[in-house]
Amino acid sequence: MLSVKGLRANVGDKEILRGLDLEVGPGEVHAIMGPNGSGKSTFAHVLSGRAGYGVTAGSAIFEGRDLFDLEPEERARLGLFLAFQYPVELPGVNNTYFLKAALNSIRKARGESELDAVSFLRLIKERLKILHLDDSLLKRAVNAGFSGGEKKRNEIFQMALLEPRLAILDETDSGLDIDALRVVADGVNALRGPERSMIVVTHYQRLLDYIEPDYVHVLAKGRIIRSGGKELALELEEKGYGWIDAEVEAA
Amino acid sequence: MNGDPQIGFERWLAEPSAGAAPDWLESFRSGAREDVRARLLPHSKEEAWRYTSVKSLLEQGFAQSDETMTALQPDDLEEILVPGFETHRLVLVNGRYVPELSAPGDWPEGVRVGGLRALLESDPDALRERINATVDEPQPFFSALNTAGLDDGLVVLLGPGAIVERPIELIHLSVGLDEPRVAQPRHIVRLDAAAQATLVERYVSLGNSVYCTNSVVEVSLGRDAILRHERVQMESPNAFHLTGLYLVQDENSHYMGVNIGLGARWARTDLNARFRGRHAECVLRGLYLAGDGQLLDYHLDVDHAVPDCRSQENFKGILHGKGRAVFDGRVLVAKDAQKTDAAMSNRNLMLSEQAEVDTKPRLEIKADDVKCSHGTTVGQIDPEMLFYLRSRGISEPLARRMVCLGFAGEIIETLGSEALREHISEQVGRRLEATSLS
Repeated sequence: MLSVKGLRANVGDKEILRGLDLEVGPGEVHAIMGPNGSGKSTFAHVLSGRAGYGVTAGSAIFEGRDLFDLEPEERARLGLFLAFQYPVELPGVNNTYFLKAALNSIRKARGESELDAVSFLRLIKERLKILHLDDSLLKRAVNAGFSGGEKKRNEIFQMALLEPRLAILDETDSGLDIDALRVVADGVNALRGPERSMIVVTHYQRLLDYIEPDYVHVLAKGRIIRSGGKELALELEEKGYGWIDAEVEAA
Repeated sequence: MNGDPQIGFERWLAEPSAGAAPDWLESFRSGAREDVRARLLPHSKEEAWRYTSVKSLLEQGFAQSDETMTALQPDDLEEILVPGFETHRLVLVNGRYVPELSAPGDWPEGVRVGGLRALLESDPDALRERINATVDEPQPFFSALNTAGLDDGLVVLLGPGAIVERPIELIHLSVGLDEPRVAQPRHIVRLDAAAQATLVERYVSLGNSVYCTNSVVEVSLGRDAILRHERVQMESPNAFHLTGLYLVQDENSHYMGVNIGLGARWARTDLNARFRGRHAECVLRGLYLAGDGQLLDYHLDVDHAVPDCRSQENFKGILHGKGRAVFDGRVLVAKDAQKTDAAMSNRNLMLSEQAEVDTKPRLEIKADDVKCSHGTTVGQIDPEMLFYLRSRGISEPLARRMVCLGFAGEIIETLGSEALREHISEQVGRRLEATSLS
């Protein structure tokens, strides 16, 4: 599904990712954990094609294509989805119009026909329910004036609608109280399936109580230094990130 | 130009051909003619003309329009009507009211709407107290020119308590003539106490001809009157457009104005509002979109002459290609105009490095117990917004258009009719699509 090899990336002159390798198979959920500044968010951004990052080495093969050869919209049309840590407010851009433009762009790229208004509405109403979101959301501008929880739910709602093959959740738990976290996690879990892989980027183990990963990776100084099952997350929770520094120093 | 400063506008001053006008009107006209001839042309040392030159306007050699285009059939209007927009429709062609093209429909009691010339023919004194009633002397240069050629326009008179539900739509249609012509309509709008109406002015053209419109709109609102006044400038891309609004408001009246500027190569809009009674409210909103070869120039002058009034000025602009715009907004709060509440904002979205905007909001406050604010921004499309949209599969050009339409949407959504909102959105979208947006 996704094969990242030897990825190095800079922000400005500073190297943030220093030879990152990751294999994600179909239907797998991988958690990427690590202390602040380890490169977790950079990894998510580089995969999705955000400007301001320079990939200096390595590749990320997704669905047979190297993501780094593609524009952000082309990556999305291939089936990549990034749930933003800080979803962007788009004042004046109507949510329904936005969702329709996004869905139809992706459908077109897949060789499917554009949805007519009726089927589109039916589809979004059905997906809204998964996230316990209200219809009124559709009339509002994208993320504009949304609460933190609404923004995060809106991200997962978009994911439910666009049905990506690989979803990257970038610190989806940040800024959520426990109830909101549960709703978001339920939404994510409802979307798990044999054909959909996920990369869950998080600082805290808390989210992983709700979204149970198949694999956990520890990222430090731009590299994955340990990989394991979900028990690794618990170990991190217990020991904190302090021991990592020692381990990186030793390596 | 100093030797004979008015030579370029002499042909605007040709005597209207309509023949017998009431004496009082004739004396307004001749007074204005003398006034204009004695004056210097607007020049860049005048604050009001600092950023905009009248040179290109002079070079066209426009002449006063004196023919009525009657060859048009109602079918010819098809392409300029807004689908689904149900209105009392009044059509002026090249500055003249044309009843054959109009569909005014029925009016409630106490309402008088129609062509200015026709009204004066049947009732010569009807507008004696209304024409030039809201314009201070000496009149600004182009308003004086309008007065000198004053011959026709639209009249909207609502008696006390009269309410017109459907929008009154004024279509000002320009049709190219062999010679470049200037049309100078004068519109007179009076709402007596507690009257309510919506007036939509649309300036449009058939074809891309060169012409000039120099309109003056006088609006006076009686006590408790409510007017929604939407103005859409969609002139030919080769046209020149001047308009002066003179608004006077009595106690507790409400004026909600929206000014959309999309067309013309050179356009100058002057909006003058004056409070005459307390607790009145004036909202002036605007949206302008200027691209290659276009200059759109807005001047606002809001006079809080009395206490307890509210005004809100909110103009947004999108500039692309080599488009230029000017926003010069002045709010004046008189010494005893306490409890004034005024907020002015001008925000501009620049889509190219060659585009230019000069923005100058000014508050002149002489009272000490007021709430006044102003803000202005000039910025580019936020790359974060573009990335967000693109990360959802949306192409970059469409993403740009969506952000721009979102920016414009704040103004467009204040239009009263869904049909008009859709029409304007579509027009803005089409213009954005036609540019490279680079």
